[in-house]
Amino acid sequence: MNTNVVGSRVIREDAWGKVFGQSKFPADVNLPDQLYGVVVRSPYPHARVRNIVTEKALELAGVVTVLTAKDVPHNSHGVLFRDQPVLADYVRMVGDPVAVVGAETMEIARAAAKLVEIDYEVLPAVFDAEQAMLPEALPLHPELKPTNVLYHMPIRRGTMEDGWALADVVIENEYNTQHVDHAFLQPEAVLAYVDERGHMVVQTATQYAHYDRGEIAHALGLRFSQVQVKTLAVGGAFGGREDISLQIIAALLALTTLRPVKMENTREESFYSHSKRHPMRMYYKTGATKDGKLVAMEAKIVGDAGAYASWSINVLRKSAVHATGPYVIPNVSIDSFAVFTNNPYAGAMRGFGAAQTVLAYESQMDLLAKALGISALEIRLLNHFKVGSTTATGQVLTGSIPLDQCLAKIAPYLQKGDGIL
Amino acid sequence: MMDIKLMVNNKPYTLNIEPSERLLDVLRTRLGLMGTKEGCGEGECGACTVIVDGKTVNSCLVLAAQANGSEITTIEGVGNRRKPHPVQKAFVEVGAVQCGFCTPGMVLSAKNLLDKKSKPSDDEISVAMSGNLCRCTGYDKILRAVKLASQEGN
Amino acid sequence: MKKRGIGLGCAWYGTGYGNGFPDVSSAFVEIHDDGSATVLTGAVDVGQGSNSIYAQIAAEELGLQAQDICVYSADTDATPDSGTTAATRQTYNTGNAVLRAVRQAKVSLLDYAAHKFSCPTAEGIELSGGYIGVKGDPSRRMPLADMVFQARLQGERFISAESSTARSTPVDPETGQGAPYWPYAFGCQVAEVEVDTETGLVHVLKVVAVHDVGKALNPTQVEGQIAGGVAQGIGYALLEELELHEGKIKNPALSSYLIPTALDVPNIEAFFVEEAEATGPFGAKGLGEPAMLPTVAAVINAIDDAVGVRITSLPATPERILQALADKKEEANLKGE
Repeated sequence: MNTNVVGSRVIREDAWGKVFGQSKFPADVNLPDQLYGVVVRSPYPHARVRNIVTEKALELAGVVTVLTAKDVPHNSHGVLFRDQPVLADYVRMVGDPVAVVGAETMEIARAAAKLVEIDYEVLPAVFDAEQAMLPEALPLHPELKPTNVLYHMPIRRGTMEDGWALADVVIENEYNTQHVDHAFLQPEAVLAYVDERGHMVVQTATQYAHYDRGEIAHALGLRFSQVQVKTLAVGGAFGGREDISLQIIAALLALTTLRPVKMENTREESFYSHSKRHPMRMYYKTGATKDGKLVAMEAKIVGDAGAYASWSINVLRKSAVHATGPYVIPNVSIDSFAVFTNNPYAGAMRGFGAAQTVLAYESQMDLLAKALGISALEIRLLNHFKVGSTTATGQVLTGSIPLDQCLAKIAPYLQKGDGIL
Repeated sequence: MMDIKLMVNNKPYTLNIEPSERLLDVLRTRLGLMGTKEGCGEGECGACTVIVDGKTVNSCLVLAAQANGSEITTIEGVGNRRKPHPVQKAFVEVGAVQCGFCTPGMVLSAKNLLDKKSKPSDDEISVAMSGNLCRCTGYDKILRAVKLASQEGN
Repeated sequence: MKKRGIGLGCAWYGTGYGNGFPDVSSAFVEIHDDGSATVLTGAVDVGQGSNSIYAQIAAEELGLQAQDICVYSADTDATPDSGTTAATRQTYNTGNAVLRAVRQAKVSLLDYAAHKFSCPTAEGIELSGGYIGVKGDPSRRMPLADMVFQARLQGERFISAESSTARSTPVDPETGQGAPYWPYAFGCQVAEVEVDTETGLVHVLKVVAVHDVGKALNPTQVEGQIAGGVAQGIGYALLEELELHEGKIKNPALSSYLIPTALDVPNIEAFFVEEAEATGPFGAKGLGEPAMLPTVAAVINAIDDAVGVRITSLPATPERILQALADKKEEANLKGE
């Protein structure tokens, strides 16, 4: 198809505002008479809040209000399940928001946050996903699941016995990936106010303004038509701005005080107020014939969902679906699990469950190649998906499947090495 | 409280400030110069980079009082739509801008480098830009933009 | 000793929400009296440049330039819901919604113009270079602005609302069988690394990345996504790790949680393969997430190529490299005995 504008190196309109420092990120907007909100976060990974004493904080000059769980009309939010409290009276991770202080300056709000006295009943906590799967582990979300196994996805294709019988070489390994933070450059910030229409206006940086609107409306008991979420410049996201962070808390403060409310995370607060990339433990067993054809693969993938569900079901589903890599394997058995623990909650991050498995399946490919005495490129050329290939989920690939073209383009760069490649 | 004098983007200011106020806060809150960003508060990310007396500094690590009597350039003092600085022009044309949060600091670091050395080597560019973190671009186009600006500046 | 190695990584990625989850994007379009146009969509531009892509799509379809299109997004009082900016779906999905909306507005415009030019079918009308006219007859055309303005006088407005829904179906919960994503995007990368066997430090010298994008709607932005993905992949492979002690983050700071700097990122050569995806806008599919996937494998495989150790736990820190080298030496010694 001949195109003129599509396919050309059009200059982004927003780039100019950004090089002149004109683009407004949420930390850059303010309103006269605004209050500053600071969240008091739990130092414990698992605890019941027994009592909160706010008097000392409220006595500090300039403090306007301190809000806690009892002040939230509908105290929940979440992308798949509303299992996350706006302000917690039951804490499942370090950093759970328990109270919010509204004050005349940021400094006063921060000082007052330290004066909020919270009495916790500390509960046993679990930090390893496989331990959390054991029947004796205390379930973190009994209202959702009777155990900490939030999700199990099996994939069964072919017959494993037949597959292993065909395999001349089998490689078995355990792979582990770590908790990762999005570390977008702009920490979360919000400006929330009730405008002249009586509508709740929330200016923020998010990946999905309409979702934020729905969660704010739900928590505060407002109609969608009474809540405006206006996205300002977004300073990076990578999945870390999909869940709610400060939006509802700021709106709650604004609704309670009828004053504009500004909230701005420090970098440390930012680490505690958004999701993480799931750490995964991946047990892989892959078999190939002496001709280099993949014939069987078994994998068990355990993802640490942390304290809340967020997108974990979808993430571990994506891990399972992509666990073979872009290769045809006729006999496959995959079990993927998302497990609650008292670690920071895990959610969306660029790659969304398909990033972790790359370490496992591509390491297996190189190890198989080595064992078979063929090159890393060869083994991939022998097995990669083409038009008409069937994936482990039985999906027949049609249309644009140009991995062969990608490999052809990259092949010359593999000639330079003096290793096995 | 104390009085300080600053020359910011060629405009003189006399300010009555708390001794504990950071230069970053004075620029953003008192002068309304929101182009200077705060990304980490500990001098690691470079989003708050400004030029003080010809040197790039992280304005989150400098007390405003320490800058008393200094000449300061923030992003608002570098170029405009009618006459962009060569660095700004190159950033836009090369595609070195994605989310844009690091961009003001990047532009100032690049400008200061080119003010000191009009034809830096690739390594000198990388080193000069290494105090500014970017999470979006992978630096590739940023480094190319600085190179381009160095070529077009002469 | 410093040793060099090369590694290859391939990856695939099912774009979109997947598994039958409603994956809907929407857009409103208005063609103005001066021949420019506005696109309204809920899709958030998180910095990746989606607003520019929508401007290009609308401009292409209307025979205009990108700067003739105003894209306003992500304000719930003014723009329709377009789903989340995630799942590598905004170029593909909202791109499709914008294209459908522009085409819908264009249908009434072309019909009106056909009538004006006494052409029995809108098929005979074209939009090009800011003009609207009869195909093959340069004498019968007028500026688009004039046509839209005349139409207004007769009560005709060229506005539209459209949505686009991606296809996917849920998999069987017992067997995992089904077609959960569409389309899939592919990519491969080669990394060359240098490993210092004394310190365990790994330096990535070069990354070559080839990604399947269907159609590169804006090559500059494609290259930007690839380089950004490579940098995050290097961070994932070598640097980044949240250290936890009983659920508490020990390194909640950019001084202790290290992400790549300009000195950690190598020379990146980015290429793309364009084999049109029939369901995508102008053949495009998404690239955002796939861009970072192969890097980790390319780096880890390159380390093995360089020093013969297999790192199975991320990140490949100097401590882990040195430990693996020591284990390898011990194993060799045992075999020697």
